[in-house]
Amino acid sequence: MKITAYHRPETLDKARSLLRDLGPAGIPLAGATSHAFMKGDDEKTAVDLAALGIDTITATPQGFAIGAMARIADLQAFAAPGWVLDRVALRFVSQPMRNMTTLGGNLARVFPWNDFPVALLALDATLDIAGDTVTTHPAATFFKGQPARLFKPGDLLTAIHVPAVGPGCGFGYHKETVVNMDFSLFTAAAWVRRDKRSLAEVRIAVGAGVPLPQRLIALEDALTGKAFSRDTVRAAVIAHAEAVSWKGGDGFSADYIRQLALTHLEDALHAAWNDAAGGAV
Amino acid sequence: MNITLTLNGKRRTADIHPNAKLSDVLRQLGCASVKMGCNEGACGSCAVSVNGRVINSCLAYAAQADGGTVETVESIGSLDHPHPIQAALVEEGAVQCGFCMPGMIMAAKALFDKNPSPTDAELAIHLDGQLCRCTGYEKIQSALRRVAAHGAPVPSPGSSTKGGRS
Repeated sequence: MKITAYHRPETLDKARSLLRDLGPAGIPLAGATSHAFMKGDDEKTAVDLAALGIDTITATPQGFAIGAMARIADLQAFAAPGWVLDRVALRFVSQPMRNMTTLGGNLARVFPWNDFPVALLALDATLDIAGDTVTTHPAATFFKGQPARLFKPGDLLTAIHVPAVGPGCGFGYHKETVVNMDFSLFTAAAWVRRDKRSLAEVRIAVGAGVPLPQRLIALEDALTGKAFSRDTVRAAVIAHAEAVSWKGGDGFSADYIRQLALTHLEDALHAAWNDAAGGAV
Repeated sequence: MNITLTLNGKRRTADIHPNAKLSDVLRQLGCASVKMGCNEGACGSCAVSVNGRVINSCLAYAAQADGGTVETVESIGSLDHPHPIQAALVEEGAVQCGFCMPGMIMAAKALFDKNPSPTDAELAIHLDGQLCRCTGYEKIQSALRRVAAHGAPVPSPGSSTKGGRS
């Protein structure tokens, strides 16, 4: 891909209008970190979204509203009760890349190894697409396929709403890479709500090792309402993770990824359980 | 297209192609400290500060820096009056081939500017994008620990924004 013209509009309306007029010749520019991997000679006009003012993180009564142009480093630095995305941010590539990459950019085009879709699925986030009106999509819908299917020409992802992890609830996140900065081989995120010794609610999502990030609904159902124990979690993970069609690649077999999944799903669930008790993450 | 930026404290303009990467343009503007390593954001040798954030300039378009403030290691210390980070790196013998040092120094300075006494863990997090193929990192860590132990690394008296070399 070759950028042949560059615009940096200052309003959302102007950005949308430009992209609508450009059609396939236009490309929204968020952090630009994935452009190095877009091969080919097709020429594009970049519409840089940096001046739109959609880069803040705000506490809301339900949790947090994150502008799509917020950098991963902003998520890393933000702190508030119930905020857990700093844990995901810290495992994201490297500090210079965290300083460049935007949350919206990590979500609008989903590669199997993308980190934040997994976390947002487990956290039951919603995502706003600004078109002629703003439409709000649950993460489970947004990531059901490539998000591009939800965007008409000129539409832009503008905000992500993430519920706070409240009292009695916990979040666990595990990501496996060959080396620290590498793409994920396997990612698991779990959110739980405790009721004394039981798992009152569970959400579990995985990424990498599967074609697109996804919730493991059958595993969630198997654990919901159960008393938490190492044996219960292990048995449910083994029974339900075996049913998933894991994907190998980059020199790793599907069976190796399956074994990673078993370990990291258990670890993420334990981390979420301990987190819900106010313990170690 | 024309861009204007404040580069190492000076207003500069450049006529660039919209596809030009910031690293290429900075080198054309005379900042030879900006090293070209992996060209895919993995090695950190091209790291520079743009509007206060250290980024991989090999991935950024120069157009994105239009109107902004860019700092490279040329703005930090000088041969006669090195920045405390530079002095510590030299004193610890942390510089071998030196290729990674401009990016390493920019990343370290960005951290120390915000947090004069970072912990080892904070150093590790903020330098995790800087690869060094020579030293094994131990002496780099020792040097930066030394800076951290002294608190805010204010530049040495008489340090200049000119004449730095790396």
